[in-house]
Amino acid sequence: MNILIDVLPVALRAMVPITLAAVGEIFTERAGVVNIGLEGIMTLSAFIAGVGSWATRDPWLGVLAGLATGAVLGLVHGFISVCLRGNQVVSGVGINLLGMGAVGFGAWALWGAKSPMLDHSFWVPGISLWGVNFSPFVIMTPVVVAFTWLVLHKTALGLRVRAVGEAPVAADVVGIHVNRLRLWATVYGGALGGLAGAFLSLDWLHTISPTLPAGRGFIALANVVFSKLNPFLALVGGFLFGYFDALAIHLASVAGFGGALPYQFIRTIPYLVTLVVVALAIGRARFPAALGQPYRRE
Amino acid sequence: MAENLIEARKITKVYPDGTQALFEVDFAVQAGEVHGLLGENGAGKSTLTKILSGLLSPTSGTILWKGKKVRFGSPREALKAGIGMVHQHFALVGPYTGLENIALGAEGVRILGPVRTRWIGKKVENIMDRSGLRVPLDVPVEDLPVGVQQRLEILKVLVREVELLILDEPTAVLTPQEVDELFSVLRSLASLGKSVVLITHKLREVLEVTDRVTVLRHGKLVTVRPTRETSLEELASSMVGREMPRMRGRTNRSGGKEVLRVENLVVPGVGGKPAVRGVSFSVHEGEILGVAGVQGNGQTELVEAMVGLRPWTGKVELNGKSLAGLGPAQVAALGLAHIPEDRQGMGLILPFSVAENAVLGKLRPFTDRVGGLRWRKIFRSTADLIQRFSVQTSGPRAQARSLSGGNQQRLVVGRELSKAPELLIANQPTRGLDIAATHYIRETLLKLRDEGLALLLISADLDEIFELSDRVAVMYNGTFTGISPVEKLDRERVGLLMGGLTFEEARG
Ligand SMILES: Nc1ncnc2c1ncn2[C@@H]1O[C@H](COP(=O)(O)OP(=O)(O)OP(=O)(O)O)[C@@H](O)[C@H]1O
Ligand SMILES: [Mg+2]
Repeated sequence: MNILIDVLPVALRAMVPITLAAVGEIFTERAGVVNIGLEGIMTLSAFIAGVGSWATRDPWLGVLAGLATGAVLGLVHGFISVCLRGNQVVSGVGINLLGMGAVGFGAWALWGAKSPMLDHSFWVPGISLWGVNFSPFVIMTPVVVAFTWLVLHKTALGLRVRAVGEAPVAADVVGIHVNRLRLWATVYGGALGGLAGAFLSLDWLHTISPTLPAGRGFIALANVVFSKLNPFLALVGGFLFGYFDALAIHLASVAGFGGALPYQFIRTIPYLVTLVVVALAIGRARFPAALGQPYRRE
Repeated sequence: MAENLIEARKITKVYPDGTQALFEVDFAVQAGEVHGLLGENGAGKSTLTKILSGLLSPTSGTILWKGKKVRFGSPREALKAGIGMVHQHFALVGPYTGLENIALGAEGVRILGPVRTRWIGKKVENIMDRSGLRVPLDVPVEDLPVGVQQRLEILKVLVREVELLILDEPTAVLTPQEVDELFSVLRSLASLGKSVVLITHKLREVLEVTDRVTVLRHGKLVTVRPTRETSLEELASSMVGREMPRMRGRTNRSGGKEVLRVENLVVPGVGGKPAVRGVSFSVHEGEILGVAGVQGNGQTELVEAMVGLRPWTGKVELNGKSLAGLGPAQVAALGLAHIPEDRQGMGLILPFSVAENAVLGKLRPFTDRVGGLRWRKIFRSTADLIQRFSVQTSGPRAQARSLSGGNQQRLVVGRELSKAPELLIANQPTRGLDIAATHYIRETLLKLRDEGLALLLISADLDEIFELSDRVAVMYNGTFTGISPVEKLDRERVGLLMGGLTFEEARG
């Protein structure tokens, strides 16, 4: 029974990327844009964050580089889907492929290995509270969640963002820049995806690889559905998915148990849970009315 | 000669699909006047006013605002200059409350600050008191009936204190009292030196409230006249380009067998409290039952319950068969057709083509054995519908979105009438139609009635109620204040009943 508690620290870590990316995506989708390129954004940001930390010898500058990478990829996606009115699914898939391809190539070019390990000096240092060592990201995540919720639901900006995703014409005729707001919302979503990526390489897994997020970008998308676009529920969802993720990691590594069930099978648990949860949640979620539709006046 | 507040010169508009909506139109509004803009469905009224308010840009032509040449790239710029517009098809955010919709875009100075609803709320209360246009401010607007949404749209622009107020068919779903109140607001704005452009199909209103009137026909300017120098007949014929046929008189009929029977119908509304509170009535073969009433008294909920869109309790029978627990498709299969009040939300699928919309809900005869669509047949039938109801469109393949408001309405009405139903529920069937089309639809409804159709008509337009109904019910606060043969009623009595008096009180 103890393992249910033993995995808590890992679960908290596993919660971070799924929550951060989901909360960013919630903001983006509230404005009416779907970005399914989270996996690619996390992959590339994890890599650039690693490179940044390595080049500057400062892990926090590395985190910043990851954040910026996510923001730029968000901008690219926003430009394609908002300004050029391109297909948002195609653009998202493109970003996913770009992430994998670029990192596979980049890692070889820089380190001569497909999945180099990062040296201890590149890691983000932990924070000690009440004698317990916390990842700063675990503390940062609920703050980002609360901030995003506040902006979305308690500020003038949030009122506009949600209006733009729900009824762009209504927003346009009262003088709101529909496309500009959508573009910025996509950038914000991308930036949080970038933060999630930086966390993966610099704080949690300490490695770089073209498949580093291992589907967590897609689980984040599932979390968006689960949360019904509410950041706080996304935190709950992030913890839930993270918990099963941690449990699977733990079970797969425990001797004896690993013999009873094949390792690969246990590692599928979080994904199966995701499937079930989404299947149950999707009927009840209400998405913005203009989600995925580019806006044009005539 | 008063000064022109805004002047549009030689405005031409060609839509991206090649439709020429306006051709070198000149249009001017003086400071301090109420200016009527008239024209048939598809004449280009909405297009012209959307250009003035910055939502569309003209293909060619110039606009002068206070004598200076301007180019509005967006509604934002026009709004900043002082031009506000109430659009024919509402621009509201469905899940937002009335107050949030009004506040949107004017929430406060700091974008990351809180929405200053309290301050705006006070201002809105103030304007509601002065204008008599009351709306609930704390309910999501998607739960409000169309008439109430219309009031909200007007309030939204009034709050912004613009110098030029453009209203695109604001009166189509308002009751006579509301129209009177709106007009007194417009007159007082004009006396303060502000200007108003009013689009309407009701000539009586134009004569009542405007100072000058401009008439468009097929995208061209026909005439600009001071209102007092014109007459109803002259305006009508300059709109249509020929004399108007007069409406055939209605012959009274007593109905045949009972088609619809409703007993003690209760429908829950917003927040659980009942919107329809125990209504009983019946509609017979060959009879039109008109339901008059101020919008928001339960009409929308009544209709949506009967067509299977809302849960209800009580008894509803169509030709003796109970409708309890049936969904919209099953109700439709029993022979109930429905012209919804909201053509864009419920009547049409805007991104679909005219042909696809024309066969919505009646696909059976257009489907082959393996489930494929028989497009040749669909196009033939659509062409027929376009012709019979004179829908102006570039063809069956055009997007429904590209039709003018009145032509969208024709498409919906045409489709529902061609389903050959047993019972037709028509909710504001002539909303936004020009005079000729209104005549045509009303005549068609009367003809179908003579052929035995049972019709439940919901309308905020008393003229329509009196022209069509055999019996009239008045709905107030979720109940019928009485049902009576139309001969026993007059406008005044119905007006009193709509205000909540009972039959006995209204008789005295
Ligand atoms: N988005 C669009 N794309 C293509 N054609 C359009 C579009 N909007 C309007 N039109 C066409 O332009 C013409 C003028 O339309 P408009 O909406 O200005 O008419 P209107 O005078 O407002 O009519 P109504 O009384 O029916 O509202 C019509 O022929 C219409 O089909
Ligand atoms: Mg129009």
